[in-house]
Amino acid sequence: MTNAIEIQSVSRAYGGSKALDGVSLSVPEGSILGLLGRNGAGKTTFMSLVAGQDRPSSGYVEVFGERPYEHESVLSQVIFVRDNQRYPDRYDLKDVLRIAPVYAPNWSTEVAAELIDGLRIPDRTPIKKFSRGQLSAVAIVLGLASRAPVTLLDEPYLGLDVTARRFFHDVLLRDYTAHPRTIVLSTHLVEESEALFDRVVILDHGRVRLDVASEEIPEQAFVLSGPSEAVDRLASNRVVLASHTVPGLTSATILGAPDTGLRSEAGRRGAQVSSVSLQELVAAFGADVVEPALLEGARA
Amino acid sequence: MSAIVSAVKLHLNRRRQVFLVPLWIAGVVGVISVVIALIFWRGGSQPGTAEWIQSSRSNPGIIYALGGFLVYLGVSSVGTAYPFALMLGSTRRAFAIGTLAWQALIAAYVAVVFLVLELIEVATHHWFVGFYAFDIYVLGAGDPWRLLVIVFLGVFTFLAIGAVFAGSWVRFGVRGPQLLALGLVVVIGLGIAIVVPGLGAIVAAFQLWWLAVAAGVVIVLASLGTWLFLRSAVIR
Repeated sequence: MTNAIEIQSVSRAYGGSKALDGVSLSVPEGSILGLLGRNGAGKTTFMSLVAGQDRPSSGYVEVFGERPYEHESVLSQVIFVRDNQRYPDRYDLKDVLRIAPVYAPNWSTEVAAELIDGLRIPDRTPIKKFSRGQLSAVAIVLGLASRAPVTLLDEPYLGLDVTARRFFHDVLLRDYTAHPRTIVLSTHLVEESEALFDRVVILDHGRVRLDVASEEIPEQAFVLSGPSEAVDRLASNRVVLASHTVPGLTSATILGAPDTGLRSEAGRRGAQVSSVSLQELVAAFGADVVEPALLEGARA
Repeated sequence: MSAIVSAVKLHLNRRRQVFLVPLWIAGVVGVISVVIALIFWRGGSQPGTAEWIQSSRSNPGIIYALGGFLVYLGVSSVGTAYPFALMLGSTRRAFAIGTLAWQALIAAYVAVVFLVLELIEVATHHWFVGFYAFDIYVLGAGDPWRLLVIVFLGVFTFLAIGAVFAGSWVRFGVRGPQLLALGLVVVIGLGIAIVVPGLGAIVAAFQLWWLAVAAGVVIVLASLGTWLFLRSAVIR
């Protein structure tokens, strides 16, 4: 399978702080990548580099084998609507719908109309007066109706109600199936979105902490819970990503897969071993418990 | 080329602001001029007299009124349209060239509109009652070719100045326009200090075409500046 996006050893620094630090990853063509991590993890910077809106300080980014920065034919195949996207003064929805097809050769008027209707976007109110959810809805219209071969959706759910989020999922999956493309979606609503992802990348402090296919997520870590003393003993010599303790009881998210010996010893000590959810994994990688160097191997 | 055309279309997409607001402002200035003329009329001035024509033609209100809006339009054409254009997939180069082409287009549009209004004004003997809104000194005193050049270069200059200040803001944040303004004040101040000893001779030798050259220089420098700011501007 060819890669739509290829990133090699990319760092991006703003002043003294590094938004991305030596990131290497690839996104296969025709897949949906979940880009996860805490605020400030580097997700938007990653998308900005892919969309040619920024240049890496070092390393390189390729989209369909070309560097996107100032590359007209590549940029015509990419759309990236920021969560804080700015619109021209006095723009309303009709202005957006009039100009977007000029830039997007695959623009679907039907998808746009369906989303506008389903997300209940007002067409006469200036965009400047839109609520947070309505701004997200406009971003979704632009992102999906453009049918860009590389679609970057940055926190598309912000402010959306539950009905709108479900509607967005339905349209996304249906249109993606009919018109396959490469989608990168960043979100904090991990549980709601994880069914969409073919692959998941977790960023933290500008580094890739996890880069695996969705079906490999359960093998990346497990949760050990039970009496604190038992959990502490069983977790010793293992990489604990995060732990929560209430008096007498501890729950620890541990890197790697549990072996048979651990399972039987946990049973003897009254502790439970359970599989980790993607949300627990994202929270654990962002917990600042483990030295980043210990996590570099968490990739498949 | 198509990317540049797309950038022009992006700017033209704000139809009301781009096409109607200049007309609206010109109309408001016309109405205000008429009201002022009425006051003078009621005060004893007689339409058609040499004094009336002289004072009516000296009214530069259209420049002040339209100038402010055009600088704003230039600012917003970069300040808010640039991030939006990049989101849609424009290159910086296409956006900068498209913005320049759009500025020229709008300057030509306003020039033609003003020419038509001036021709109507002259043909109707100044709106049938001796009111002067476009047949004024600052717009060439009735010379249609001069009006075309003045309005075209004037509008182009205002838009280009607005764009370069917005470009500095996009590139450097709030410090950009501040430093650019400071730099301009220093450069213009030094320029005046250099030429002031010979100012009398310069004024005596002044030719109107100098202003056209000055406008051309401002447009070129502002457009180059806009490009230099935008080519490395990062959207965050």
